[in-house]
Amino acid sequence: MDSSLHEVWQTASGRAFVPTIGKDSQFYVGFTLVLIALGLTGAFALNARSFANLPLLGFPASLALAFGAVYMFCAVGVYV
Amino acid sequence: MKTSAVFSAVLSFVTLASTSSAASSSRTDLPSTFTPPQVFKNANLVHVISLEKNYVKENINVVIENIDKAPQQDYFLPFTADQISRLGGVEVKDRKDASAGPFGAEVVGVDPKSDLQYLRIRLPTPLKPSAQQTIGITFYFLKAYNPLPASIKQEDTQFLSYSFSAYCPSVYTTSKQKTEVKFPSATVPDFTKLPGSGEVKEFPQKQGSKLTYGPFDEKPAGALEPVQVRFEFNKPVTHVARLERDIEISHWGGNVAFEERYTMFHRGANLSSLFNRVKWAQSQYYQPATHALKEIKFPLRIGSADPYYTDVIGNVSTSRFRSNKREALLEIKPRYPLFGGWKYPFTIGWNSDAKNFLRTLSGNAYILNVPFLEGPKQPEGVEYEQVEVRVILPEGAENVKYSTTVPVSSITDADVVIHKTFLDTIGRTALVIKARNLVDDFRERELVVSYEVPLLASLRKPLIIFGSAVALFVATYILGSLDFRFSSK
Repeated sequence: MDSSLHEVWQTASGRAFVPTIGKDSQFYVGFTLVLIALGLTGAFALNARSFANLPLLGFPASLALAFGAVYMFCAVGVYV
Repeated sequence: MKTSAVFSAVLSFVTLASTSSAASSSRTDLPSTFTPPQVFKNANLVHVISLEKNYVKENINVVIENIDKAPQQDYFLPFTADQISRLGGVEVKDRKDASAGPFGAEVVGVDPKSDLQYLRIRLPTPLKPSAQQTIGITFYFLKAYNPLPASIKQEDTQFLSYSFSAYCPSVYTTSKQKTEVKFPSATVPDFTKLPGSGEVKEFPQKQGSKLTYGPFDEKPAGALEPVQVRFEFNKPVTHVARLERDIEISHWGGNVAFEERYTMFHRGANLSSLFNRVKWAQSQYYQPATHALKEIKFPLRIGSADPYYTDVIGNVSTSRFRSNKREALLEIKPRYPLFGGWKYPFTIGWNSDAKNFLRTLSGNAYILNVPFLEGPKQPEGVEYEQVEVRVILPEGAENVKYSTTVPVSSITDADVVIHKTFLDTIGRTALVIKARNLVDDFRERELVVSYEVPLLASLRKPLIIFGSAVALFVATYILGSLDFRFSSK
């Protein structure tokens, strides 16, 4: 038990936690990113499975999917 | 699955170095030969027993005097072993000096098998010889009443009985004392009568909904005078045997999710005949006072949203949520009215924006302030036998510290564990605080938790998905470039 924490809480007034993406925008951001990921994956899978396209299409697709999936989880109410 | 396991191993160097505050044990054992030294005298004592709620609140205001030759610091209050098991929410204050703050109070047992146990109150500064100090001791007893009669009809009025001592139990000589008993109504059909003293011929004196035993003259240490009162209590005797309260913090979602699982009992009079649903439905048209629990109100913090109310069957539709700028009131009706001896386990939950509870300290450090209890607010009160509050912090949170304004003597255990849920790899850091014998008087007491989340730990979820997807792309490329055709040669 650390009783000084109540004072620490008071001193932090005005510094409320603000998420990077607000609750209202989570669905749009998440859905757009997942769509981008899907498009890039499609482009890679259909006709561009070359080594050069791994960083060009695969990495951006993975990145979009990574953040898109996290925000889609939040958008549907499973706050991860 | 394997890929995520590999990446979780790679990223596991982000260590979970959560430091928990040591759980403060509220019990110490003393040698069986121990007897409290006779170093104090109760110069004047007023014992107020409040039976207005479905738990007993006792308040002992006492002027203590040091009759020893040396300064003394430890004041003892005796209880039986049964009382100790039902005792909770002990708070001791200086009645004349509010700045002195709450004093330390802990249960000390002389022998686990002994029926006599003590509450040791440690004064902030030792009391000098012949000096006096006025202290106020407040505590609660759960499961305190017995319904009398034990079985009644569903439309009958419920009466409860309570036994106590007209002399305040003390290990010191008490020069002057009186005991006041407050009831929820003026209907007190039975109470033990005692011979009076001085101008008063008979104790107790009754004034409205209050009985007063005393004032009594000097009583020796350990003097007891058992008395019993029986009073009308036509309200539910709500007892929460176990409350599990989860508070889940999400930095990605900017959300604090609450979930509370109740195991609720009605400890009042049982039904003497089978429950008659038709009679119950008919009686609801004229709203009679009833001892059945038919509605529970939860005043939540403003800004609460997305409430849900379920039980073992599933969603319960008989609930209402009033949410606006001034209130967020969740009103639920159990599936069936709860009568004496009946049980109703249920779950409620809701969300709130993280900005209402969470503040940023510096860099990766955060501080959370949530109510320790947020249960029902009923006119008849609610008692909690076992409470487990779980604060589920983001994955990778470390350096966890906590503080609460709930009496320290009610906290039985505090620990940091790992809780695994959606999109987790190593699991989230969860602070688990166990408390016992609390009442709804403590429902707005704060729980402050500070923690740190390193940048890499906070990016763990997208990094895991990114790694898994890249691995999939690479695997697709390698498999696609292999030539499985039969050679033409």
